[in-house]
This record gives sequence, C-alpha cells and structure tokens, in this order.
Amino acid sequence: MIKIVSGFSIPVGSTVALVNLCNQLNDRGCHCILYGPDNWHMDKCKSAKVSDFYPENGDIIVVHNINLFSVVELYKIQDKIEELRKKNRLISLKSILMKHFPHSRKHVGIKLILSCQENDLFPIRRLNYAMFDKIHYVHSSQIKYHKIVHPHFVCPNFSNHLIASEHKPIRAAGLIGSIRQENQVNVSIEKALQDKMETVTLYGYLIDPAYYYKQIVPLVKKYPGKIRFAGFIDDKQKIYDSVSDVYCTVGRAWSLVKKECALTNTRYHEPDIFTTEEESMANDQIFNVWEKELGL
Amino acid sequence: MKNFEDDFYRLLKLLKIREPFAFNRFSDGELYILQNKELILDSAQVKVGQNVTEGIYQSEDFKRFHPEEHSFYRDRLVEAFKFKKRNYFKGLSCRCCVGNESFQWQLDFHGKYDRNFTWANLLVNGNYPKFIHEMYPVFNTYKTVFVCNENADLSVLPFLVKDFRVGYNAMVQDYGLIEGIKSWINENNIKGHLFLFSASSFSKMAIHQLYEFCDRNTYIDVGTTLNPFMDMRIDRTYLKSFWLGAKGSDISKICIW
Repeated sequence: MIKIVSGFSIPVGSTVALVNLCNQLNDRGCHCILYGPDNWHMDKCKSAKVSDFYPENGDIIVVHNINLFSVVELYKIQDKIEELRKKNRLISLKSILMKHFPHSRKHVGIKLILSCQENDLFPIRRLNYAMFDKIHYVHSSQIKYHKIVHPHFVCPNFSNHLIASEHKPIRAAGLIGSIRQENQVNVSIEKALQDKMETVTLYGYLIDPAYYYKQIVPLVKKYPGKIRFAGFIDDKQKIYDSVSDVYCTVGRAWSLVKKECALTNTRYHEPDIFTTEEESMANDQIFNVWEKELGL
Repeated sequence: MKNFEDDFYRLLKLLKIREPFAFNRFSDGELYILQNKELILDSAQVKVGQNVTEGIYQSEDFKRFHPEEHSFYRDRLVEAFKFKKRNYFKGLSCRCCVGNESFQWQLDFHGKYDRNFTWANLLVNGNYPKFIHEMYPVFNTYKTVFVCNENADLSVLPFLVKDFRVGYNAMVQDYGLIEGIKSWINENNIKGHLFLFSASSFSKMAIHQLYEFCDRNTYIDVGTTLNPFMDMRIDRTYLKSFWLGAKGSDISKICIW
C-alpha cells in the first residue's frame, strides 16, 4: 500500500498536488491513500484522517511537510502533527536539540519518501532527512536550494486536464495561489490594475487573514468595485474560463499556473525577475518516474 | 451528543450536494425579543428589560423592540422559532454563551425537541476559520442573493446576482421586503439559488417565511461573518481575532450543547 501523509491538507498547491498524485496512482492500479489532518482532502481522493494512519510492513510512505526526527514518530503521527501545529518555544528548542542527536536508522520493511514541495516554508535541513530512502523534489532548482546530499529524484506534479474556453472574458484578471505576504498578492493586484484590468479576482486559500485585512482591504477601498475575493476554487477550468489574464509576482519554478494558462489560452504575466526554467512532463511520464522510484 | 464541528459539516455537505436548506439563527437579541423584553440597542444605551447599560452599538446594529408596540413582529419571530420543516435548521443560543437558564428557556418555550436544532454560533467562534476557508468558496458555485444593510459594499463578493437592502431596525421598518423578495422569486422562477442574510432580526423572519414559501432555494443567516468583505465594522471578538490576530478565545471556542 502507498500511504501519503501530509502535515496539512488545506487547499493549497501542495495538497492539490498530493491529491492528484493519489488519484493518478489509484487510477493506474496502485493502491494509495492520502492521510491529512484537515478536512479538505477527504472527498477529493481515496483518503483518511491522520488518526487512521499506521505504518505497516511493506508500505511505501510518502511524507510531506512533517518535521520528523525518528521513525518512531511515524507511529504517533497525529500527536506529532498536533505538536508541530502548536509551534511553541519548547518545540523549537526540541528541534534544535534533536538535530544534534544521532539520527535513527531506516526502518526495515517500509520505504520512506520525503516529498518536498516547498523551499523556504519547509527547509529539509531542519529534520532528520537521513531516515528517508529518497527525497522527492518537484523541480531540480530545489536541489541547489536545500543543499542536501542524499538520494533523491526530481519529478514535477501531475497536471489537470484543461481546455481553452471559446468565450474568454475581456480584461478580467485572476490571481491564483494562496493569499499571504510571501506571494505579494497586493503587488500583483496593483500590476493588474495598472494594466487597465476591469476586475481582479483572488482565487486562493486565505492563509494569512491579517495580511488580507491590512494589505488587500485598503486596495479594495482605493480601487472601488475592482477587486473580488473568491477563495480556493476546486474547479480549475471554471477559474480559467472566468479570466483573461493571470498575474503572478512571486514565481515558483514548479508552479503549474504558467502551463495551465497556456492550455487555456489565458495571458500569463510572470514575475519581472524569474529565470528558472520550466520542467514539464506529460502525466504518463510523471507516472513512469514514480513507478520506477517507488519500485511499483 | 451534538457536536459543534459536525453540525457545521452537516450544513456544508448539504450546500455542496446542492440540497436546499435553511439555517436560521436565534442569538441573544432574538432571545430577549422571544422573552418579550424591551430591547434597545443604540449608541447611547443598551436596554434589555429593566437593565440599562452604556451604548456600544453603531448605526447598522441599532435595534428597538417594544413589547406592546411591536407585538406583531415578535409573533412573527415566534413563528420562525417554532416553525418545523425538513432541512429547516434553527440555531439556538448555546448554554456556554448565554448560560444554562436562558438555554433551557429556549427549549421549554419551543416545546417538543427539534432534531434540526443547532447552534446560533455555528458559523462563528471556533467554526469561523472553517466557514471562511471551506464554506465561503462554495458560494461561488451558486447564483447568490444577498439581503443586507444598505451601507454594505458587496463588490468583493464575486458570486452575487442580486441584492436586497435593509436599513435601521429592519425587523420593523423593512418587514414588507419579505413580500417583495417572494414576488421576485415568483416572477423570475428562482430555484436553486443561495440567499445569504445579514440583516439582524429581519433575517430570522425572512428566512422562515421564504423557506416556507419556496424550499427549492437555500437560505443562510450569515450574520456578521462577511463584514470584512463588505466594508463593515469588525468589532466582534471572533472577527478581530481572525482578521487582525487580536488576542481572544472566541476564535478557538468550540461551543457546547
């Protein structure tokens, strides 16, 4: 059994990627379950809550965004995630100390993969990466960023089937991605409105409400009637059918937005400074990589 | 045992599968009216029965209920409170927020226990993050109608197809609007729409009468939950905690039954 377990399962890019991975593996005859602490993933793929997660002999476990220090923690994963969510000083101190203890050995009978879908938000150096058989990166640029010498493979995320709409709106901008300071949503809004967009709609999970209230609400007042908030929408086709242009200020090399814009005939306004090359693969090729790396 | 989070997901599921329902809320203000106590909420005073304290309310929240003068509206509120129909959910003020005595008063006043009882606070306090993150985006999948204060700016909400406005003390001043909404539903054959209400006690009477009139739409009393998107004040504790990161326990409070 392939078990994917994530430290969160709120609707953000990495969760969507894990849902797609789970669905693609199951569609191709590989039994897979996605475990997460939140509810969003529950009706999106074969799924369960982390409280139901238990490693068993022969499992292939893909771990995402959980600061693990030992295999023992895998058996108490719900407690571990709750502990990490409290983010108190004691945990930080524990993390610092744990880094200096001898790392636990790999678990016989279980294959452990660490899926790395982030850079600054999940620095691999802060966990015991040695316990993993391999690290999965979604883009080769992450290898340089994390500076970890460890077996790894690079494989982009599965993409959704999208088509170009016959009736695209005019001057309707969309911002696709989580709403937080790091994504500089406020800057993208200003860029879109400077380009004379009629409306700017935010499609994304509201990770940082205080950022929205302090940075976006003043723009709503500055540009009356122009800015809309939709939240995270499952149906990507519906998003792309409702926008003519997509703006992005902070690019991530593995983001699928640029590719999706091309598929849907949507103009993509990429960051001014963005030199990383796109690494694209068809879904069949992506599956072939997973098949090989997981030994399916 | 009823569970605050489970009840939230019960409504969210209905919304996602497009099964029409009504969620009506009877908070402390409505509780006092049901108890036939004089109620005055304004900037100068807060009067509940014989108790008078300093006024803390802003214009959109001003309310005045006088038991003799407004008995007609109290009767309509009682009807809304006692109304029973499939998928008509009634949110009561919970014992952890109004105390055991008031909570029990509601149950006694209602009579036979309704399995569609839920929390008036179902979309706020500890459920508010879930409301914003999980329920709000589902509104995009509906043709949505908003019934709210005349001062609200609705331009941020991308899913609206129509709005109806109310003013001060809408329960009394705008009561006739309920018939106006019914006419609009009838004339335009409105089915499968989502109606959101943020109009204080007017919402309770409207949701009851509209769901009784046409149960093929969904009606939700969202209260103050969408204020940050509507250029309305966010002075409620749960709003300040969520949107400003202010200290307060309401945002993590899991109300009990």
